[in-house]
Amino acid sequence: MPKHDTPLLDELEKGPWPSFVTDIKRQAATKPECWDILGQVELSYKDRITHWKHGGIVGVFGYGGGIVGRYSDVPKQFPGVAHFHTVRIAQPSGMYYSAAKLRAICDLWQKYGSGMTNMHGSTGDMVLLGTTTPNLEPLFYELTHDLNQDLGGSGSNLRTPACCLGKSRCEWACYDSQALCHFLTNHYQDEIHRPAFPYKFKFKFSACPNDCVAAIARSDFAVIGTWRDDIRINQAEVKAYIDGKTPSNGGAHSGRDWGKFDIKKEVIDLCPTGCMWMEGDTLKIDNKECTRCMHCINVMPRALRPGAEQGATICVGAKAPILDGAQFATMTFPFVKIDAETEFEEVVEKIEKIWDWWMEVGKNRERVGETIQRVGLPTFLKVMEVEPIPQHVREPRSNPYVFWSDEEVEGGFERDIREFRKRHAQ
Amino acid sequence: MALSIDELKAAMIEKATKAPKPQLYIKDFYECDPDAKPRNVKNVANDLVKEGKLMFWSSGSTTMYALPSRIKNEETREAAEESK
Repeated sequence: MPKHDTPLLDELEKGPWPSFVTDIKRQAATKPECWDILGQVELSYKDRITHWKHGGIVGVFGYGGGIVGRYSDVPKQFPGVAHFHTVRIAQPSGMYYSAAKLRAICDLWQKYGSGMTNMHGSTGDMVLLGTTTPNLEPLFYELTHDLNQDLGGSGSNLRTPACCLGKSRCEWACYDSQALCHFLTNHYQDEIHRPAFPYKFKFKFSACPNDCVAAIARSDFAVIGTWRDDIRINQAEVKAYIDGKTPSNGGAHSGRDWGKFDIKKEVIDLCPTGCMWMEGDTLKIDNKECTRCMHCINVMPRALRPGAEQGATICVGAKAPILDGAQFATMTFPFVKIDAETEFEEVVEKIEKIWDWWMEVGKNRERVGETIQRVGLPTFLKVMEVEPIPQHVREPRSNPYVFWSDEEVEGGFERDIREFRKRHAQ
Repeated sequence: MALSIDELKAAMIEKATKAPKPQLYIKDFYECDPDAKPRNVKNVANDLVKEGKLMFWSSGSTTMYALPSRIKNEETREAAEESK
């Protein structure tokens, strides 16, 4: 029986798509506090302002992240959601879990929380919405001891690392993204659970340039699989695509007749750098011009494969638009070997170099991408000990001045002012 | 010359006591010992949290540190307001 009238929310149930309003109403049958969620959201729609306050000192002992305090600013009107904290649970690498594990987490949340979840949050965590302060410690105990699950990151912490399916299912994976994600999650437990930085810091791992976890747009440290030799071509399979014997895009567009496959129109002319052409029946690629857009490989997966010398490109500094607008990560390290045998030491070394610099130079609430923007990419590259290359340059410069650093000028900038004045008019 | 851990802890507590605002960013503690590495300051701040001398305050996106005596949680604040 609804506790509040919700005419505005009820409108959202009328469309053809699934509605969160219907879901919350269903959940309210066993968790009556959910009626108060609907009541408060209805009021927010009416007032056109949120009635949630967030932040505070809630958490579990020893952890500085994973729980986000949420409170209603109209608690007397909606007592069921007066305190309605969010719990973030670290997702398994590649988001693989059994139905039994999901059921156990849901049962635990039904016991200690509202039963409402968000699968998954932007960082990738399983997000459990709505519990009270006294329930946090018992929930945490059972989560860690009985279900062997840990809390994720929040606040100025390293956020829960996220990765694609990688080599577990994907033939294009250029490195084992799940192994790297799992290793770094364990290696940086302290940074995930206790605040260390000027602001949040996110790792995301995509095993190929298709970038299925959108690492380049959503993480401060994006590790994106790539190769540095030539795309592997099977010319017999190229011919099979041209002859229509193999469906393009792995048959993904077979629901409709798009006509005969046209390699010129569908592959060669769409190459962003124009680095492909046919010589008779042979497909040619000028590999040094390839920008790893993956289009040709996606269209003809049996004919084309990533090169054999594989690793990753590391891009730094993506962020959402809170300050200065959204920005993509900047390609910083063009090619890094991802090697489990050395405990990924090349990646770890780069991460820590960035952290040491950002912790020192970054302002409060400044993402690393904003710090780079503030000090300039040349300074960042120098700190990272990376030699600038043309691929670091986004566009030709519009500033006519050239700035030299002291060590780039023979004799430096030091001069004897008296000697100088002797030779120049006063 | 970097301070010893105990000296740094004392300086951080003093900073948290005298700061105009009760919540401090981790960077605010760096000036307690400019020679200390930021990571060491972070580790000491977290030790102080474990000892109960500092506590975390989180907005959800940013985490700050505060003296327990200078900050109240939302439940305590509401109860205090209601008893007025």
